[in-house]
Amino acid sequence: MSSESPLLAARGVSRRFRRTTALHPVDVEVWDGEAVALVGPNGAGKSTLLSLLAGALEPSEGSIQRRKGVRVGWAPQRPAQYGRLSARENLELFARLEGEHDPAAAAERLLIEFGLPGKAKPSSELSVGNRQRLNLAIALLGDPEVLLLDEPTAALDPEQRRRLWDRATALREAGGALVFATQNMEEVERVADRVAALRDGRLVHIGSVEDYDRSLSDTLFA
Amino acid sequence: MNRIVLLLRKDTLVLWRSPVLLGILIAYPLAIAILVGLVAGYASSKPRVALVDEDNLPATVVVGGKRFDVHHTIRQASRDVKLVRLSADSAEHQLRTGRVVAVVTVPPGFIASLKGMVKSPRLELQLARGTISSRVEQQVQALVYSLNRQLQRAYIEHNLRYVSLILKGGDSSFLGQPIDVLGIEKAEKLLDAMPDTPRNGQLRGFLHDARLALANTGDALRSTAHPIELVRAPVRGRTWILSAEVQAYALGLTITFLALMLAAGSLAAERDENVIGRLARGLVGLGHLIWAKIALAAGVALVLGLAISIAFGAVIEIGGITRGEPWRRLPLLVVGLLLAGACLGALGALLGALAREARSASLVAVLVVMPIVFLGLIPREVVPPAAWASDVLPFAHSVRFFSAALYDLDPWIDVLREGLWLVVLGAVFGGLARIEARRLLA
Repeated sequence: MSSESPLLAARGVSRRFRRTTALHPVDVEVWDGEAVALVGPNGAGKSTLLSLLAGALEPSEGSIQRRKGVRVGWAPQRPAQYGRLSARENLELFARLEGEHDPAAAAERLLIEFGLPGKAKPSSELSVGNRQRLNLAIALLGDPEVLLLDEPTAALDPEQRRRLWDRATALREAGGALVFATQNMEEVERVADRVAALRDGRLVHIGSVEDYDRSLSDTLFA
Repeated sequence: MNRIVLLLRKDTLVLWRSPVLLGILIAYPLAIAILVGLVAGYASSKPRVALVDEDNLPATVVVGGKRFDVHHTIRQASRDVKLVRLSADSAEHQLRTGRVVAVVTVPPGFIASLKGMVKSPRLELQLARGTISSRVEQQVQALVYSLNRQLQRAYIEHNLRYVSLILKGGDSSFLGQPIDVLGIEKAEKLLDAMPDTPRNGQLRGFLHDARLALANTGDALRSTAHPIELVRAPVRGRTWILSAEVQAYALGLTITFLALMLAAGSLAAERDENVIGRLARGLVGLGHLIWAKIALAAGVALVLGLAISIAFGAVIEIGGITRGEPWRRLPLLVVGLLLAGACLGALGALLGALAREARSASLVAVLVVMPIVFLGLIPREVVPPAAWASDVLPFAHSVRFFSAALYDLDPWIDVLREGLWLVVLGAVFGGLARIEARRLLA
């Protein structure tokens, strides 16, 4: 894996929704083995930036660059899955779309890993926590090198949070990277190497957690 | 292609697991068939008409020397209505409550006027208020017309007997008085026995001309009674017309409704379930997504269309209706169902992309269906702009394709033209849907 270029980068990326600018031009790079936390108040542009990095949204300006062959997994804040399909069927469908070699085996592995019910119960009937787990499990299909997680622990119990961060640590140790949006500063301090702070659609800080603590942590949400 | 199949399988599974939607899918064509059947049944039904006899109609009546069985004559004349004999009060009550749609009253003195042959006897007609009153009036007029025709025949025959008396001579009666008529033929014989004088020659010439003229009186009287006679020509070529037209419209309406709703709703649902972003990030292109919805609409159109056609065909077979072609044309109908379903699916996908939310998309689809269908039903000759608007929508082309495929003896030109229309319209709607689908990502 080359480290001359970032795994994933946003270059002057902005996004407008009609007349509203959700994100002003930003530059963000994600390097091998690091975890980048996106912080900021509601409506700051964190989810938009993650969607742009994932390729789920097209930028109004600028470009998203991905190192050749790098696979990206994305878990949006609101679970993205088919409510009429069971957890297994959702996983198998997305595994096939991701080009997994053995979709059934991949689905089975993730069902066990995330403690999801294998029964043919529609995912819309799962608990909020289970739906979020399924959302995260789908993001892990295709063995991504970069994980983009939008407030991933919001509906998880402590045990599931621990498992998630263990998985993220394993990914980083294998040379992958993690970008996650959160409102939880404890998670930032425990998991992140760098912090990108956004406010009103503008990137107001990007640097180490220590720098963020010193300069912005008290004023960002003011 | 594989991704389109994956999405199509998923949509089919989702559809299968949506009992309400599935119920509507099955019930809708049935409801359409029942409604069409009711309308067709109503069109050929006999309205109930009360007959109030205030003249005590006898079992038989002699008019112009001809004896009429009154009940048999009324039965013969009332093939289009169901006549029920009621008292005046009962008829009045039933008319008010809608149990009869009209009351025909035979007033006192009717038979006397009829026998007298001096002035026309009158029947009185009372109609219920409502949308079918004009139709009932027509049917009662047809009843009176039929009675008149039978009476005319009697009158003509009665008059011809007098003509025959003038021609051939003999004993008869007139206004109750016995008469003895010499007749033209006997008069000619008497003249032949007389000397050949110029005066006799003039009389002989007159009697000759009179005999020839009176010999044609029968045809002249009949043609005066019926200046124009309508003769129904035997039907050739297109058989099974009613059921084929009904089937074409039932198919067109069902497919239009379902394909639009399904394509619009299922495309917008991808956004509602927040999945569209996940798909669009390289897993499935927006174009593939549109294709999957078009394929879904075409597939459902095919399955339901075939189910309706097979049901119609089975009815034809069970009913022993000959000269229908319920099975031979099915392959051509399959092509039409796929093309119509795909074209309507493309239009539905466009609506789904514009509406963006499944609920709004379904509502828009329902609202759009009716104008599309009605535009397709307005005859081109009546409102040309409506036909032009209908030309750029799939419904009318679908119905014409189905009609041609089902019962035209030589359907190929119509099928090719309408098929081409559906392909072109489908491509335009599909292209627009692909452009608008970007809005779903916002």
